[in-house]
Amino acid sequence: MRLLLAATVAAISLAATAAEGPTAPDFALTSTSGTNYRLSEYRGEVVALVFWASWCGDCRRELERFERLRRTYGSVGFNVLGVNLDPEPERAAAIAGAAGIGYPVLLDSGKDVSKNYRADDLPLIVLIDRRGAIRARHQALDEREERGLLVSLRDLIDE
Amino acid sequence: MRSAIISFLAGIVMSMPVLAGDTTEPAAEPAVGRSALDSEVQSLRREVVDLNRDLFMLEEDLLFPASTQVAVFVSMDSSTFFALDSVQLKVDDKEVANYLYTAREQDALKRGGVHRLWLGNLKAGEHEVVAFFTGQGTHERDYKRGTTLKVEKSVGAKYVELKISGKVSKLQPEFVVRVWE
Repeated sequence: MRLLLAATVAAISLAATAAEGPTAPDFALTSTSGTNYRLSEYRGEVVALVFWASWCGDCRRELERFERLRRTYGSVGFNVLGVNLDPEPERAAAIAGAAGIGYPVLLDSGKDVSKNYRADDLPLIVLIDRRGAIRARHQALDEREERGLLVSLRDLIDE
Repeated sequence: MRSAIISFLAGIVMSMPVLAGDTTEPAAEPAVGRSALDSEVQSLRREVVDLNRDLFMLEEDLLFPASTQVAVFVSMDSSTFFALDSVQLKVDDKEVANYLYTAREQDALKRGGVHRLWLGNLKAGEHEVVAFFTGQGTHERDYKRGTTLKVEKSVGAKYVELKISGKVSKLQPEFVVRVWE
């Protein structure tokens, strides 16, 4: 009886895991500062990946938005990783510097990571929970969507 | 497949405290019964961990049998004056691994950790293993150094170690390839 009950609960928990979203593909990239970063090293924390490029008009606004969010929620386990798709790292560094970005800007000039995350339209924001599962994907946000993002972000931080 | 089995078993084990907590007669249940259930849950958890390890070994034995298995490891001396950035590995002129090391991984290597860079299958005979190390040496000097080894693959599994060591007198890193016997 106990086994049957346990198996049922296990099946439910498996279904719940599936509903939480797929595991975020791991990657390692070099940042504009020359330091290497690996996504899996952030397991246990909430991560926002912000895919962007210099030629994308809405990207800069998202970069700045996520810098504000990082300053607000960074102390409670929220991390932001910018993933830049420009072929020239100098442009990425210059834009990130001008926007006052304090989080790492990773260089994906080979576009391997952006292909894995299906970053066809920029900007793309991917929210990853503490277990390493993708929980939300957003494009450029308007005011209403930003409120929705904040709610889901707070939920993820509280998990 | 293995991860599905492990997830399922982990689900069963994870569900145990929930079951224990969901009992409808908590007040009536004696403390002894609870502690017995706790130890049962602990032993179940241990069994899942053991099973996970066994499945992992079984999977590796199936995918990489000793007759064809070759593994390449990276290690580093604690005294090395070298910040390892990446290692590119080529076997018989074909790239099989290209690994970027984070600061945390570099630290782990300097503390004596060994990183398995590649695990694969090669048929018996002679093979050429080439490794390219990139990083920074003393005075932030950029290094890119290649090292080559001819490996004779025989019946048993073959383990190759790429070791980065430091020459204190020259303040320079040394890259050594050796085969574990």
